[in-house]
Amino acid sequence: MRSHCLDNSFQPSPRGCNAAMLSFLSLLFFNLLITFTAAGQDYYERLLLRPLPQSALLASFNFRSNESSASFDQQNFRYFPRSLGQILQHARTKELHLRFSLGRWDAESWGQRPWDGAREGGTGVELWAWLEAQSEEEAFSRWLTLTNALSGLFCASLNFIDATKTIRPVMSFQPEGDHHNSSNLHLLHGTLPHEVVCTENLTPFLKLLPCKGKAGVSSLLDGHKLFDASWQTMSIDVRPVCGKDGADCVLEMEQSVDMVLDIDRSRRPRDNPIPRPLPIEEIACDTSKHYNAEDTCYPLHKSAEPGWNLTEIFGRPLKGACPLTDGDGEGANTVCINTPPERIIQANTTGQYLETWIASDTVRCYKLPTGSDFDLNLPEQEMTTGLILATPPLFAARSINGHGQERGSIQAIIRNPSATDAVEFVYLESLPWFMKPYLHTLRARVDTTSTNPIQETYYRPAVDRARGTHLELRMLIPASSTLTLTYDFEKAILRYTEYPPDANRGFDVAPAVLKLLSSQSSLGDNKGVYLRTTSLLLPLPTPDFSMPYNVIILTSTVMALGFGNIFNLLVRRFVGAEEVMALGAGGLRGVVAARVAAMRTRLLGR
Amino acid sequence: MPIDQQKALLFGAAAAVRLLLFTAFPSLPNLLTGRVEISTPVTSFKRLQEGVFLYTHNVSPYDGGVFHQAPLLLPLFSLLPNPAYYPFATNLLYTIVDLLGANALMHIAESGQSATPRLFKSSRKELRWSSIAIGAGFLFNPFTITTCIARPTSALTNLFILLAMAKASQGAGSTFVLALSVASYLAMHPILLFPPLLVLCYDVRATKSKSAPNPLAFTAFHVLSLVVALGGLLYLSALLTGSWEFLGATYGVRLLLPDLTPNVGLWWYFFTEMFDSFREFFLGVFWLHVVSYVPGLTIRLRKQPLFVAVTLTGIFAVFTPYPSIADGTLYLSLVPLFRHLFPLMRYTFLASSTILYASFIGPAFYYLWIYAGSGNANFFYAITLVWSLGLSVIVGDSLYAALRDELDVERPELRGKEVKRI
Amino acid sequence: MSLISALLALRRDPRILKVPPYLSALCILVGVVWLLVLPLNEYSRNTYVSENALLPGQVHTYFTGSEHNIFRAYRHEVAALADSPVHERTQRLGDIFRSSNLKVATQKYEYHSSGRNISNQNVYAILHGPRADATEAIVLIAAWRNMAGEVNHSGVALVLTLARYFKRWSLWSKDIIFLISGDSTSGPQAWVDAYHDSHSPESIEPLSIKSGALQGAVAVDYPAGPWGHRYDKLHVVYDGVNGQLPNLDLFNTAVSIASGQMGIGCTLQRMWKHDDSYQERLQTMLRGMISQGLGHASGPHSSFIPYHVDAITLQTVGDGWHDEMSLGRTVESLFRSLNNLLEHLHQSFFFYLLMQANRFVSIGTYLPSAMLVAVNFSITSIALWVQSGRGASVPNPASTTPNTASDSKPKASTPDMTLARTATGAATLIPTASLAITERHLFLPLAFILTSHFLGLLPLYIFNKTPEPYLRLAFDTTTVVTTLLPLATALLFSKFRRPTSQETILMQCFSLLLLGMFLSALATLNFSLSFLVGIFASPLTFVRCISPPPPNSTSVPGLVMRNRKAISGAVVGLLVLLNPLVVIRAATFYWGKDVVDVLVQAAEGWHVWGLWTQVVIWLVWWPAWFAGSVVVAGGLFS
Repeated sequence: MRSHCLDNSFQPSPRGCNAAMLSFLSLLFFNLLITFTAAGQDYYERLLLRPLPQSALLASFNFRSNESSASFDQQNFRYFPRSLGQILQHARTKELHLRFSLGRWDAESWGQRPWDGAREGGTGVELWAWLEAQSEEEAFSRWLTLTNALSGLFCASLNFIDATKTIRPVMSFQPEGDHHNSSNLHLLHGTLPHEVVCTENLTPFLKLLPCKGKAGVSSLLDGHKLFDASWQTMSIDVRPVCGKDGADCVLEMEQSVDMVLDIDRSRRPRDNPIPRPLPIEEIACDTSKHYNAEDTCYPLHKSAEPGWNLTEIFGRPLKGACPLTDGDGEGANTVCINTPPERIIQANTTGQYLETWIASDTVRCYKLPTGSDFDLNLPEQEMTTGLILATPPLFAARSINGHGQERGSIQAIIRNPSATDAVEFVYLESLPWFMKPYLHTLRARVDTTSTNPIQETYYRPAVDRARGTHLELRMLIPASSTLTLTYDFEKAILRYTEYPPDANRGFDVAPAVLKLLSSQSSLGDNKGVYLRTTSLLLPLPTPDFSMPYNVIILTSTVMALGFGNIFNLLVRRFVGAEEVMALGAGGLRGVVAARVAAMRTRLLGR
Repeated sequence: MPIDQQKALLFGAAAAVRLLLFTAFPSLPNLLTGRVEISTPVTSFKRLQEGVFLYTHNVSPYDGGVFHQAPLLLPLFSLLPNPAYYPFATNLLYTIVDLLGANALMHIAESGQSATPRLFKSSRKELRWSSIAIGAGFLFNPFTITTCIARPTSALTNLFILLAMAKASQGAGSTFVLALSVASYLAMHPILLFPPLLVLCYDVRATKSKSAPNPLAFTAFHVLSLVVALGGLLYLSALLTGSWEFLGATYGVRLLLPDLTPNVGLWWYFFTEMFDSFREFFLGVFWLHVVSYVPGLTIRLRKQPLFVAVTLTGIFAVFTPYPSIADGTLYLSLVPLFRHLFPLMRYTFLASSTILYASFIGPAFYYLWIYAGSGNANFFYAITLVWSLGLSVIVGDSLYAALRDELDVERPELRGKEVKRI
Repeated sequence: MSLISALLALRRDPRILKVPPYLSALCILVGVVWLLVLPLNEYSRNTYVSENALLPGQVHTYFTGSEHNIFRAYRHEVAALADSPVHERTQRLGDIFRSSNLKVATQKYEYHSSGRNISNQNVYAILHGPRADATEAIVLIAAWRNMAGEVNHSGVALVLTLARYFKRWSLWSKDIIFLISGDSTSGPQAWVDAYHDSHSPESIEPLSIKSGALQGAVAVDYPAGPWGHRYDKLHVVYDGVNGQLPNLDLFNTAVSIASGQMGIGCTLQRMWKHDDSYQERLQTMLRGMISQGLGHASGPHSSFIPYHVDAITLQTVGDGWHDEMSLGRTVESLFRSLNNLLEHLHQSFFFYLLMQANRFVSIGTYLPSAMLVAVNFSITSIALWVQSGRGASVPNPASTTPNTASDSKPKASTPDMTLARTATGAATLIPTASLAITERHLFLPLAFILTSHFLGLLPLYIFNKTPEPYLRLAFDTTTVVTTLLPLATALLFSKFRRPTSQETILMQCFSLLLLGMFLSALATLNFSLSFLVGIFASPLTFVRCISPPPPNSTSVPGLVMRNRKAISGAVVGLLVLLNPLVVIRAATFYWGKDVVDVLVQAAEGWHVWGLWTQVVIWLVWWPAWFAGSVVVAGGLFS
């Protein structure tokens, strides 16, 4: 169902005030930096730290290793992990994107997502890949091969991505790599919203790194802290990158871990993680209150930036540089902090390190010493200036309306904060088959205009037990307005063998994916700008699991009653009651009567 | 003529009631459409709307798990204005459908085939209700009204079943075959009504023309025409949708029961709880069970074909995979044709109060299961059992009465005596 | 089959008609006695937690120390807001929430009922659980004013403190929503309606931020002023709107945590002193039944229960030595338990009668009592049906134009004839009987019953729409009118279309049939209401229309016949006392409430909480009473 879309012109948005410009430029410049150095050398890693409001800290790790496609084809792996490489070759996978995510990004207070959302996934596990295949069926069989192999590699239940959880997006995803020399690629996409990401997924992830988490920034990655984060996502992206003329292609594998740590929570020692109430003398009381007394304390909201250092935040020190990163140039600055220039940062290490100020002093990068621990210490400090975070292009929230286990309606509220420019985006829903949407109830309303924001719709309805719903909408949301998308759905009742053990918890519905078409990625490459809502919990009506036998017996009884009653009438013949008496000499009673008669005659006869 | 005045009055009143309900409570239709007792996955109006929407947007409605209804409904309902904005046309359509059904029912009543078929004269034939009363019983049956408000396509099926019966009882062979083929095209199971109605049609034709037509030729002709009609309808649908995949999505679903949405029937919970390995076996058994009634009744009650057809509708209302109260109301409004059997029926009060109980407690239990969450599925399941039991009791009881009536004619000396079955 | 035909033969026996009245009486008696024995140890059980994930009281609670100082500060803040305008109040509360890094939003709402205008504002904050993915949430409520209308100082302060305290924990696997509602009944209703998007947008503001599916809700009611007050016990309130109850596991968890872990005694249904005796248990149970039967909102939690969100209110009562921190620790432990939940609470009972904090009766045990009361109506109606069928054996069944004169003789003769035949043997009796089934004329009775049920819509409309000042007048006039209506109707009948004895019987038959049906359906939704209505309507089973000749051919003593008018009058007088309105008036008088307040609250319930009690009273109870009285009053004018 494709209605032709009107194309809207797009102007890049001038960002807010001067400070904002400054901070934003810093961020922009920084990211460009990464992409420049991309194709440069074979292994590259970097950690970007950025303090966020409400004493949160964004730490985004990024590792990239290249392999020339020639040596890749000869199975001659240097930095590229062999285990993954062989899987890709076996499944004819040309480009792979794998995500493990937990928690949610709080866009209201943390601003724009790292990597513009291009390196994060929905809650749980998300996987999409471009496979080379002659036909759809072949592509799907290779897809199954890939998911099974990856589930073994990452200790995740990726093998549960079956036909009902797989879709073939048409508008939402574009290949990041250049695929000049490969034909008929198929894009397949699958999600596992219920999958709980945990340390057993981190370990194989680190194993793929050349330094295996023993040195370099990856030595900071500790399961306990990582999964105590308020938001974290691990991503693996494999794509071919070619030169201008399509020659000297390299296969680039990018691994990144982004997490938002709560500084107060992470600084707690591991042996005493319980947030006991602080002793009263450690709490800053508001003495201006009239009722302030030694037993009454109105807590003051701390305005100072909290002090922290790498060791207590990540639970372990940074064990020097990974020797595989090249010694000088941009690639050597592997740890960067994005703070206002006035923030005091002391780097303490025994080895020698190099500090460089870039991006108009809002980013400080450090070249790590080799072989000796490195730590950064930021003391508590009252700040006069702050970095203004880039506002995200869209805010999206999705929820289920209505109650009861029979039907409901999905409501997605998408807000465009920009005062000047409209945003065009693709909204992708991938729903399980037992959640049956009614497309004729789909309504999209914009509070500022009455025009229909939907420009193009792609819909593939679900088939029971065979395929899930796949809905893609291309929509245009005007400046500074809110778009409300609603549609009704019905819940199917499943066979009792199809329910999970915790049937009364409900089923998870995968997050909706929003891809921004109009706004160019600030990274300046073709990664795109993405946004994901939270996943939903869908309670289904449950049968009584304890009584299949009773049900079978009772239903059969009712049917037998009807059948027996009717056919009893049909096959038998009526006679008068007393006639029955008359011709009674049949069956047991007749026999008995005969016996009695015989007895009597014998008695009388004697 | 007074009879026509009465009829006009009746139809006017019925139409007024329906349109009033439609307009006075605009939210009522959608509320009732959502009730599982009224609209099943294969008849629901909401699913029909979805199908029409997809059809008008060039997506095949049958390439999905939502729409399971006959293809020819799509162009029909896509002609009507969107009921979400202009519901009047649809409401009017369904009101007219009910009136036509009532009209057909009254024709059946007037034909007198119920009490005095060709080969059999009931001993109580003077005991009958006027066609007006029977029509009123149909039009003002609360079940009928709720069905009409909820707008399931089973209303159309009922109409065509009634038409087929009416035409058969008037001996109009071709129209009867046409109506029946439409009914079975819409809902598949009405095709089981063909044998008794064919016999009925034959009897009527025989009475009309003094010389009875040759049975074989008669049967062959009508079977052939039924095949032709059905084939034509199916072929038309194939042309319309461009492929034959609608067969699996409509009749396949009725046969194999992939959608286990609750309804008032016996199948859904049985196959929810059934073990996977036995599912196909029991599907076969259940369908065989439904079909088995047709030959038995038709042969045993050869003399009263109309009664056989009516009893079969009652059996459909209980034992088909996706029954709704619409099927029940069809049967319950056909039973008054056999007014002369009522004195012989034994459990009328029992059965009818059972049905009343079920229709009050059913929604309450469904609420407890689905919304309050304080009851579980067994609550509603138990009520569907009771409902089916009540209906099957009426069916069996009326059958007993009919046979007893035959006996009274065969052996007048037994009239009114205690009888036994051997 | 043979059994059934035997039953049929039995049905034909005239003596069978003598049984039903006694049978019905027995049903009612057994039903009442059944209820009375429930408090005994043999019939009630000790409560137990069946959801294993809850682990009540298994965690150590840390809500102490400096939190207490902060609590006192917040309590002063709340006290300072006590008489400030609404928007200022919500603003300030929102700021306090924001200062502990929570997402805050407010909601305006406005209701109109019986001429009054209820408008206020909710403020709520959402704590994003670090381990949560926004799919599930639990709610902690403190209404700004509790049910008694006093400012919930310590409750609100406690919620503010707990919000700040919970934020530090990293173990929450569900979001936690802290709701401070404007008042105790309509505020939570507006909030939970908007949360499920089933609100009316013109009067209620939608929620700007939401979280996942609500798994449970706990409300605290602690109206101690800025200088605090040590309490003695926790009063656990659990009744939901329309008599729906939360899952028993939630109640058990609260009780076991409070009494087991914290050592705070728990009480329920305002039984401040409860020495586990039979009387106390019975009283608790009856109080529970009455509040369930009324179905009104009994606290901030009530509005959540219809949405299948299990909820309770913890209310502090008495003077003791427990302080706010122990209440806070109770809530902390309770939330830790709820946080453990893997599935929505479904294991334990949803239908129960509590007779003490750890003693209950489950539905299987108590339901028969209400069902028996409901069944007695059905029995009588079946009896009346049979009786109406075998009233008079007139020669031609098809043509019955019975008037009392022509009926009298065959009626008089029928029974002994039948009896005589019975003596000779059933074989010849039954045919005559089966042929002598008289035609039943259903039209008039059906029409009458339907009209009487539709008539019930009138008072329903009046009482829900009348503004407060006129309610008393409306009530009194309705009382008078409904009292006189049966007599007037009977008079009209006797003037214009005198119903035959059979039709009179059928009227009562149908009315009782419907009553029995409604009540048995209601017993599964709201046991107590069904039971109460059933008890009050039970006399309708036994009243009959005494008209010459007696409708049923049983031998009637001449005494009754001679002064039957007097008897009918007396019975009518008795029924007047059972008029629903009179009963309501009597009940309000007994509990010393003003009937206007009751009506106002009922109207609010109708408009705000979707209360169904009035519907039951006006469309089930009243029509049955009306039909019964008309039938009896018919005896006066025949």
